[in-house]
Amino acid sequence: MTPPELRDMVRRLLAYDAIASKNSEPTESATLRVYEKLHQSIDAVAGAAASYSLASRALALAKEEVPSLGAAQVAANGSIQGLSEFETQIDNGMDQADDGGILLIGHLLGLLLIFLGEALTLSLLRNAWPSASFDDRDSENGRKA
Amino acid sequence: MSTQGKVTIHQLPTGVPGLDEIVGGGLPEFSFNIIAGAPGSGKTTLAHQFVFANATPDRPALYFTVLGESAIKMLRYQQQYTFFNPGKLPDSIRFINLSQTVLEKDLSAVLEEITREVEKSNPAVVVVDSFRTMVRKPQNDMDLQSFIQLLSLFLASWQATTFLIGEYAEDELRDNPIFTVADGLIWLRQSAERNSIVRKLQIVKLRGQASVPGLHTFRITEAGLQAFSRTFGLTGKRKHLPSEKRLSFGVPALDKMLDGGIREGDSVLVAGSSGTGKSVLATQFIAEGIQQGDPGIVAVFEERPQAYAERAASLGLDLNTPQKDGKLEILYLRPLDLSVDETMHSILDAVQKIGAKRLVIDSLAGFEMALSPGFRADFRESLYRMIFALTGIGVTILSTVEVDESFTEFPFSTYSISFLTDDIIRLRYVSIDGQLRKIMVVIKMRGGNHAKDIREYEITSTGVVILGKRLTNYQGLISGIPVHSNRPEEIKDPLDKPGTKSKD
Repeated sequence: MTPPELRDMVRRLLAYDAIASKNSEPTESATLRVYEKLHQSIDAVAGAAASYSLASRALALAKEEVPSLGAAQVAANGSIQGLSEFETQIDNGMDQADDGGILLIGHLLGLLLIFLGEALTLSLLRNAWPSASFDDRDSENGRKA
Repeated sequence: MSTQGKVTIHQLPTGVPGLDEIVGGGLPEFSFNIIAGAPGSGKTTLAHQFVFANATPDRPALYFTVLGESAIKMLRYQQQYTFFNPGKLPDSIRFINLSQTVLEKDLSAVLEEITREVEKSNPAVVVVDSFRTMVRKPQNDMDLQSFIQLLSLFLASWQATTFLIGEYAEDELRDNPIFTVADGLIWLRQSAERNSIVRKLQIVKLRGQASVPGLHTFRITEAGLQAFSRTFGLTGKRKHLPSEKRLSFGVPALDKMLDGGIREGDSVLVAGSSGTGKSVLATQFIAEGIQQGDPGIVAVFEERPQAYAERAASLGLDLNTPQKDGKLEILYLRPLDLSVDETMHSILDAVQKIGAKRLVIDSLAGFEMALSPGFRADFRESLYRMIFALTGIGVTILSTVEVDESFTEFPFSTYSISFLTDDIIRLRYVSIDGQLRKIMVVIKMRGGNHAKDIREYEITSTGVVILGKRLTNYQGLISGIPVHSNRPEEIKDPLDKPGTKSKD
């Protein structure tokens, strides 16, 4: 997937999650929720250490493009910290902040694609969003239908 | 005590070609198994093949990864194998990482987590990879034994077939309480033999059924592990009864010397030094078979199939058409690191595919050179098993062997394998009248009244042609340096019947 395709995928995940999380805490940001679900899915399969490593790398890549992500950090368990300040910026309608959250998850997806390939990455996504449809891809062999 | 009403133990396919036969049909359902071996021996790949072969959404496989190979890398590498079907994830196969629990807690916490996941998923297969890294943390023996006992009991009760994967050295096989608990112990070995790697597996233990004993070679390819049973996959196959049918060489005078031809199901050795026409004779044998409706296989080691077919064409023998028609396969077996069992596997596949009746191995020297050095030591023993297995299913084998030309001896082969053969035809050079000429003699023919004649032959544009006389006016022909005697030059060939031509 190209970077624009990855961003599209993140936006789709945000949309799925918005539907699935109607009853969740209103204070929790959509980006954070999507990141957490993805992180937990990686954690379940690859362990916390792998989740932490990939998240750190993704954050470093995102910071290069959006310096205002500088305050964000990855905790030892792979969860992201310091994104709340960022979310405030999103609330204020700052495009760059929005891009930052999407970029972070996009880079995480990109790393998964590099290391695991498309089929297994989609499998992780299905774990995190079981009711979401990824029908534009052939789930049996992981290739585009 | 009656055997009626005894429990039926279902067998699960291993997913490894060749391994089901070795374990006695498949692995017993609900068994608690250990896959042991050194790093890089293929333990994880074997477990993955079993998992992918058996996991279903209703009865999934739980694959617990522990310390050692990181799950990300394991998935990255394992998906390169053709058996890895990502569509089975996550519904049929679930990977669960236990590394944090192992690092931060004790074995009871690990057991709790495995128990929780098993109760949640109702798996048919459970794998713990690598189990050994989990118990390397300081534990007292009682803890470990208790853990194994509880895990084994729990997983069997939950009707799961289990694999613990561990890195073990050979000397750890004895007095290990873990191996005592296990129902099955599959040991994978790999060793370096000069410049080749030799992989072998052994079913050290398997409760409830008979496995094939001994070490079996295996290979790891893009399709995963492939095992080659010492019994060549012929366990339970009906033995071919000895036949009186004679197979022609396509060289009438030679057929006559062989009392009508080679007996079907025999193993024939054609021995001679370089250039004596062993391959030519072998090609005629296979071509004649095709002519008679017997599909054939030629296993070549020293030249490519195309070159072999072109050489046959120069003798007027068309090997291309029967290849296209599925009546002939010329197998070029990849040199340098083969095992006899792998070679056999390729040959048997071809035999079954085209229903071959005749097989040419050209040559035994090339065959031996194609083997990994580690297997060359067992060449005679392996050859014995191979010939016994193939002739047992009715295939007639013609092997060529190059022997050093000696002018003082008359060796049949450098391999001391003449006892493996039913029939031996010896070709050699002799020095006669200032010419290097060729003679042929049937040395041995089990169950047949072969001619004792020493016949001169030539290789012409139509192949081997036996000249129409036996050499009666020379003494010491088999020494290669005969002495002319004063007997009449020609006497009547005793094999000739009245009214038949002596020259073919």
